[in-house]
Amino acid sequence: MPEDDFYVPTDLDALRMENELLAFEVRFLRSRLGWTGRSAVSSASLSRLAHLEEAERDLVLLIGRLARSPLGPVLRASGNFRTLEGRYLHSPESQDPTSPNRVAYLEGAEKDLVLLLRRLGRGPLGRVFRSRGNFRTLEQRYL
Amino acid sequence: MPAPPTNAAGRPILYAGRFAPEVEKTGVPEGWTVLDDREVLPARLAAVERASDLVVLDPLSFPFENLTGALRDVPLILVLPEGLDADFLAAVFGGPVFGRLDFFDRLATSDAAVLEDLRRRYRLAGGQLVRLGGTEPGEAAGEIAALLRAEAGGVDPAADGAGPGVRRARRGDYDAKAAHRAQRAALEPQFAAAHGGRAEDVPFRVLEVGAGEGRRAGSFDPARAEYHGLDEDEGAVLAARAEWPEAAFGHLGADLLFPHKDETFDLVYAAGLLGRHPDPEKRRLFSEMWRVARPGGRLLFLEDFVATAEGAKSGSRPEHVLPVLSFVELLLVATDWQVVMEHVESLRYPDEVMTRGGVIAASRLGVPRRW
Repeated sequence: MPEDDFYVPTDLDALRMENELLAFEVRFLRSRLGWTGRSAVSSASLSRLAHLEEAERDLVLLIGRLARSPLGPVLRASGNFRTLEGRYLHSPESQDPTSPNRVAYLEGAEKDLVLLLRRLGRGPLGRVFRSRGNFRTLEQRYL
Repeated sequence: MPAPPTNAAGRPILYAGRFAPEVEKTGVPEGWTVLDDREVLPARLAAVERASDLVVLDPLSFPFENLTGALRDVPLILVLPEGLDADFLAAVFGGPVFGRLDFFDRLATSDAAVLEDLRRRYRLAGGQLVRLGGTEPGEAAGEIAALLRAEAGGVDPAADGAGPGVRRARRGDYDAKAAHRAQRAALEPQFAAAHGGRAEDVPFRVLEVGAGEGRRAGSFDPARAEYHGLDEDEGAVLAARAEWPEAAFGHLGADLLFPHKDETFDLVYAAGLLGRHPDPEKRRLFSEMWRVARPGGRLLFLEDFVATAEGAKSGSRPEHVLPVLSFVELLLVATDWQVVMEHVESLRYPDEVMTRGGVIAASRLGVPRRW
């Protein structure tokens, strides 16, 4: 194309531009609908929600491992641990992502995880737990 | 009953109704199709589609309710019955006829007082009013034929009330009216959204950038909104002032700096303007539009986001048409991200294959500097 000639888009360019316009419109409408739907439940942002869900998953995994470990019967002697087991391993609420109280439940899970990690780290077996890479990762992530 | 003689695409149609014998006697203008009052049954009105103009000489017998769909895109010239005052005409035709008149439609009568009264009631532009010399239907048909011939020949009769040499917006244009109606349908809900639940006594200030001859000024009621228009074309500014004496139209200089103070308008919009300017000028226009909008006010754009031959015909330049994402990015950068997206809508013009147009509305963020 000569240097002094204006660039004139081809049909393919026009199709690409049209596709971009329609996709942008759909994206806008989706985000607006999504935003409205979530705002009715909580003002939590999407990134905060993702963080809370990750914390809940970590808590469920941690409680499951502790319960299955040789220390399980010892820990289960504590009422607090039994409460955590009941709340996060056996409760149907934990499995329902559409629950209207989902955000409150997740925020509670994050608090429980922080408390549990602190207690485990401060206890007589703290050094033993901290020798595990996974436990150190959890401490770095949540404490 | 025989069908109307021909498909009149690109040519005027005269609905003579009960006056058909009289019009036949005085002579049918050359190239025109004449319909009488038996030829406007809904099935037969298809002959009107894509006509350059529909001249209704006998509105009292014309079935306006059958002008639907593409038939509404035919520019209309309504010859008002003589000897009736504006109150009577408003009672008979009112909202369903006068209220639906577009910038491309016209009213014709020999009674200047009736024209002026209807102009105020239905927010009509000066160029929508055709003052006839004669009162007989045959004479009226002849005068309108002469007017349309002059317009087709490129002669611009001075707009009503305008000085000589002031050009008038071209009206007998099916495609332009169809596109204008599509744009109105997309813009007017956004105008209403920008107005919101504002109290009647709170002024609603609107600025249109690239207002041209002011074809969108009629969307705002002067009693409720203060409309301002800017355009780079001085001829268009003069034409707009002739069309809308009560609106404020100004010239936009080559520096693209608006002559208005910061935070003046509740709605600042442009339709088909940015696609004529290269990116640095777009950026300047975005920046100026943002500057004169008040915090919380609305910025509105109706632009082509796809470069097509049809878009080029309507004024946008293919090399300056930006894809929508680049357009939005430029808007965000030019306004320092001080806007929030309110509405995105694609717009497909009648009879076109591609969806080339789109409406983008954004609110200006920030705290007002003055109250």
